[in-house]
Amino acid sequence: MSEHERFSENVGAYLLNALPERERVEFEAHAEACALCREELEELRVAADALPDAAPQFDAPPALRDRIMTIVEREAELLAAAGPEADRPAPAPARRRIKWGFAARVAAPLAACAAAFAVFLGGGNDVRVAKVEFAPRLDATGQLRISDNSAELVAEHLPAPPVGRIYQVWLQRKGQAKPEPTNALFSVTDDGHAAVDVPGSLDDVAKVMVTDEPQGGSKQPSGELLLSATPA
Amino acid sequence: MPDPRLLADEDLMPLIRAGDAAAFGVLYDRHSSAAFSLAYRILGRRNEAEDALQEAFLAIWRSGARYDRTRGSVRSWVLGIVHHRAIDVVRRASVHDRRRASDEGIEETLQSRERTDDEVLRRMEANEVREALQTLPPEQARVIELAYFSGFTHVEIANMLDIPLGTIKARLRLGLQKLRAQLVQP
Repeated sequence: MSEHERFSENVGAYLLNALPERERVEFEAHAEACALCREELEELRVAADALPDAAPQFDAPPALRDRIMTIVEREAELLAAAGPEADRPAPAPARRRIKWGFAARVAAPLAACAAAFAVFLGGGNDVRVAKVEFAPRLDATGQLRISDNSAELVAEHLPAPPVGRIYQVWLQRKGQAKPEPTNALFSVTDDGHAAVDVPGSLDDVAKVMVTDEPQGGSKQPSGELLLSATPA
Repeated sequence: MPDPRLLADEDLMPLIRAGDAAAFGVLYDRHSSAAFSLAYRILGRRNEAEDALQEAFLAIWRSGARYDRTRGSVRSWVLGIVHHRAIDVVRRASVHDRRRASDEGIEETLQSRERTDDEVLRRMEANEVREALQTLPPEQARVIELAYFSGFTHVEIANMLDIPLGTIKARLRLGLQKLRAQLVQP
């Protein structure tokens, strides 16, 4: 039996997802190079694609849609917050203290960050401070302190992350669509203080962001956006 | 920016890749019921079907919707992802838990609201496929059922039925050929 014949025997099983993993990978590699197999795959795909129709048809539960769209919309906001601002020039540092207070915590779902707190450190050291914006529901303050080869995020009056979750730092690099995870995971002290080193160089970073994630961190943001800072 | 509901599936994909939640919502609305029905048919438990559906659609969203036109329609691609997820769940569970038949005593949900034309069409198509399956020789329909809906590999089917592996492969292939012939005939 030729190699092609050996593989072509598996066309049906492949389309039905009935090949063990190793054989599936081998079949796909073969099919990439074999026009005959690809032709048969195309023909029989019509039949395989029709099989879901044979299942009894139900409506997907509406609550499921709500759960999925809540996650998707939150992540879309993160992306939107990072994307168009990636190339925005940093604001000129101001020699004054600006603080927004909050009358009460707002329990509304997260919207784009609105509040800003900026402090400029004068006097001879080479630390510059970047503007940090917190989620509107928070009554927190903070700074992103950047020196030549390190950066630190410091915040006060931060709530503790939800039970079983931890805060994670993300870097939105200029020109990239999605934020990059870091291994900078942190929580807060009893009095709401937090300090975490932001790893790596911030030269090509448009925004430093923090979300709450499951313990151990995530590869893609899944939790609420806590804060966003724009390196100067 | 046009209303995403007016766009064809293929035109939604680049929007979803760019992070457009509304476009994703439209894709979800179009295919979630077919996807849920498939996952439920395979997994037999509502909460497991919901989990598989959520994982599949979030994977589509987060991976940047890497749909490849050469692999068929967007619908087939979406359902293929759901199928893979559901089968993965089945294969991780013990063999004894796997559903071998479609008769678990759950009845097809009939909502009291009016059916749209799309839904009527879907039900007609569903009947067409079921009828086509019934025209297959029983041994071919059986192995297709075991492979596609119960998630057994061809090796497992051969062992279960005590039939040579080559025969199982041939029946899967012939069964799909016959099914295709039934579906495309005028």
